[in-house]
Amino acid sequence: MIYLDNAATSFPKPRECFERGLDEYMELSASPGRGGYDAAMEAQHRVDQVRRQVAAFFGGQDYVTCFAHNATDALNTLLRGLVDPGCHVVSTRLEHNSVLRPLHHLREAGLCSFDLAPFNAQGVVEPQAVAGLLRPETSLVMLNHASNVLGTLQPAAEIGAICQERGIPLILDVSQSAGAAPIDMRAWGVSGLAFTGHKSLLGPPGTGGLVIDPALEVRPSRWGGTGVDSASLLQSREYPERLEAGTINLLGVLTLGHCLELSQGSAGAEAVAHEQALLRELVQGLQELEGLTLHCPGFGPGRIPVVSFNLPGMSPHDAGVVLDGDYEIAVRTGLHCAPLLHQDLGNNEAGSVRVSLGRYNTSGHVQALLAALAGMLGR
Amino acid sequence: MSPARGQDGQNAGLGRQVRIVAGQEIAFDGEGFFWDFDEWSQEAAQELAAESGLAELGEEHWRVLNFFREYYQYHGRAPLNRDLKKGTGLSLLELQGLFPEGIKQGARRLAGLPNPKTCN
Repeated sequence: MIYLDNAATSFPKPRECFERGLDEYMELSASPGRGGYDAAMEAQHRVDQVRRQVAAFFGGQDYVTCFAHNATDALNTLLRGLVDPGCHVVSTRLEHNSVLRPLHHLREAGLCSFDLAPFNAQGVVEPQAVAGLLRPETSLVMLNHASNVLGTLQPAAEIGAICQERGIPLILDVSQSAGAAPIDMRAWGVSGLAFTGHKSLLGPPGTGGLVIDPALEVRPSRWGGTGVDSASLLQSREYPERLEAGTINLLGVLTLGHCLELSQGSAGAEAVAHEQALLRELVQGLQELEGLTLHCPGFGPGRIPVVSFNLPGMSPHDAGVVLDGDYEIAVRTGLHCAPLLHQDLGNNEAGSVRVSLGRYNTSGHVQALLAALAGMLGR
Repeated sequence: MSPARGQDGQNAGLGRQVRIVAGQEIAFDGEGFFWDFDEWSQEAAQELAAESGLAELGEEHWRVLNFFREYYQYHGRAPLNRDLKKGTGLSLLELQGLFPEGIKQGARRLAGLPNPKTCN
């Protein structure tokens, strides 16, 4: 199988990192922060190391990492912990349902109102479009850093500057961009971000979390044991315990730490360069296929290796079935959990075909896809 | 006995609608997929095919529809793409072209299989 669905989850996974994580877990065999014995202390120490590793990776060296089940979980934690009745949130029509659904539920519960900024023909939300929606009562801006459909990176630094000027926290969803593009949250004025471990960071599913400026007051929306301050019947006010009720996924966190090494420094830069070269080859090839509609095409800076398109006379679902059954190429089809984006593209019923490349893809994979599509278009 | 409704991710969240097809009252979901596998009949399939622009279901169409139904009845789920290719002897591109509405909305729907749980 040629796997081109890395935006759903990366595949294959780096076996050696998973093995190191498992070995370490089997050796530690204790619940971090839940005891004064050496094994528990050591487990806590390793978790804290990974917290710092994650925060530094995103350019938040002295920021706090709180682990969560995934990016959606972290986004829910952030939204529920930051909105107050009467508050106003600005987000975008590029968002994934991980933001759209919480926002709609919170509005239905009377906890917030919101406006969504449009994206332009290049698949980008212009900073002024966000600025134009800000109100005196706006207390939060939520931005999908990289569209999971179009692969377009959003101008986080420019929007961050606007937010800083108004004293409004900017929260970034880096589900797709983490590991696929550089992120510098402090330099960009980002107060918090939500990440997942299992996409371009190559980690296991069930890992992710949020990285926040410790000055950001996020109310806990879940409560429970943290291993500290047990006499109190209220949740600890300290981060990360404030936002981490219950035992964390130690195996996942340790493994994520090992996987993250592959995205740091020169190894990470090489992987991004490799993916960008493949993206260029893919986009140029797709643009040569007559009849194929490529949405917001582009490559280079401002892009992650994700593209979406439609074929004439064939539903995206069927195109995916043919690619899989006849060519053994796995792609994603449908709305990709981004219904408003597809409304704006005019594909709100059947969606699109999405190809998302990863670091283990090759030029041969890209050429195989292009040949398959040429065959499908030329029948 | 056919698999119980609710398996294979079918019909989740899609509105149930009842129509008369081939003289029979049949429930469909919002995308026109049979609500109940057992309400399918050859006559209903033929009438639905005509609605989709396929005036007559030929031998090859029936081979595909029968494969879908037999596979689903035996395995309790729809065939995987590779099973579909092997079982029908057609490439999936050929199969897609055989039905005016393609594989999902065409062949699978006309065979009375539930709506697959996909991202749309």
